Amino acid sequence: MSQSQSDWKRFPKQDETGPKCRAGVILPGRSWNASVVMGKFVWSILFLSILPAVSCFSGARHFTYVYETTTSAPGSVELENWVTWRRTTDPGRFDQVDFRHEFEFGITDKFQVSIYVADWFYARDQDRSGFTYSDSAVELIYNLSNPVIDPIGLSIYQEFRGGDRLFEWESKLIAQKNFGPLILAYNATLEAVWEGEGLVERSGELQQALGASYEISPRISVGIELLHEFLFPDWRDQEKIRNVFVGPNISYRRSSWFVTATALAQATETEGEPDFQLRTIFGFGF
Amino acid sequence: MKTLLIFLALICLLVSCESTNYAPPPVTSQMAIVGARQHVRQGTNPSDWRIDLVTLRKGRALFASRCIECHTLPAVTQHSAAQWPGLIDEMADRANLKPAERKAVLAYILAARQM
Repeated sequence: MSQSQSDWKRFPKQDETGPKCRAGVILPGRSWNASVVMGKFVWSILFLSILPAVSCFSGARHFTYVYETTTSAPGSVELENWVTWRRTTDPGRFDQVDFRHEFEFGITDKFQVSIYVADWFYARDQDRSGFTYSDSAVELIYNLSNPVIDPIGLSIYQEFRGGDRLFEWESKLIAQKNFGPLILAYNATLEAVWEGEGLVERSGELQQALGASYEISPRISVGIELLHEFLFPDWRDQEKIRNVFVGPNISYRRSSWFVTATALAQATETEGEPDFQLRTIFGFGF
Repeated sequence: MKTLLIFLALICLLVSCESTNYAPPPVTSQMAIVGARQHVRQGTNPSDWRIDLVTLRKGRALFASRCIECHTLPAVTQHSAAQWPGLIDEMADRANLKPAERKAVLAYILAARQM
């Protein structure tokens, strides 16, 4: 691998719960020509995904990094568009913007399925920039108990992700308790990644995420999110990397859409990890 | 690990102190009687609404699960009996409530707020 390619590899790839679980790579031979085509493609997807907002309804997220135990109503279909911007300054300044387009289907009162149609990202450093398709995924969430009427709300989460030379398995336990206008949520996540030629490069991640959100009016909630993660390159405990991110969030909802945003700052001083990240989710329901 | 333990301890503390105050009232047989009387007073036919324990339990479960997809759960006494039907009608599409489910939620709320 050339020096320039290895430079790309140090930057994070989008993950729905953590800022970085493995390297994001612009693959050899598809960096620049592909990026022009991908640019048109992704802008088209973005435009089409925003279009239905005019006439749709949906549930709302109170967090962007932390998952809640609630599942979509049976028969409902929702579209969520994620945008995550990350800035890394050590070593060297680097910006990456991740995009996700997720369709969420309520199957039963307690079970929902989501399809990540396309995860892609735009990356830029001092020398170059470009768009790259990353992967697609299927996500399953089953609700075990209710956060209002049961002592604690619980859900289990499973995700399978696949892309060019990438396979990922992610399991999560979601806990939540609602105290009137206050929502507390906790996620424990275990993730395994196989990537590269022949999927021989392995890595893992163990993550905890905490969130608190207070509803100050029926339309607005404000809160805080905290991520605590351990990255295990090649699944080796000796080489693990520890990160902590913390920051505020705000959620605004109307009858036909919602938007939630979280800004996180790195509380540790881990080299190569984002110093700052901002995630926004726009949601619309059908 | 320390963060996890602190968080779990906080959750346990809050659950033990506060959770029952915010949960919607559980369904009782008395609630079914109150609900039926209310419909008689309002001139509606209780047989159309099936004010029984099964309906009320279903209404409570739907109230506690569908509403919190978007916002935290309001107390059943937060709005008047006259306001609740309009509020539920307004949000029923968003919560994907079918007509029978909508009626069950309303029956539960109106009965529970009388208790």
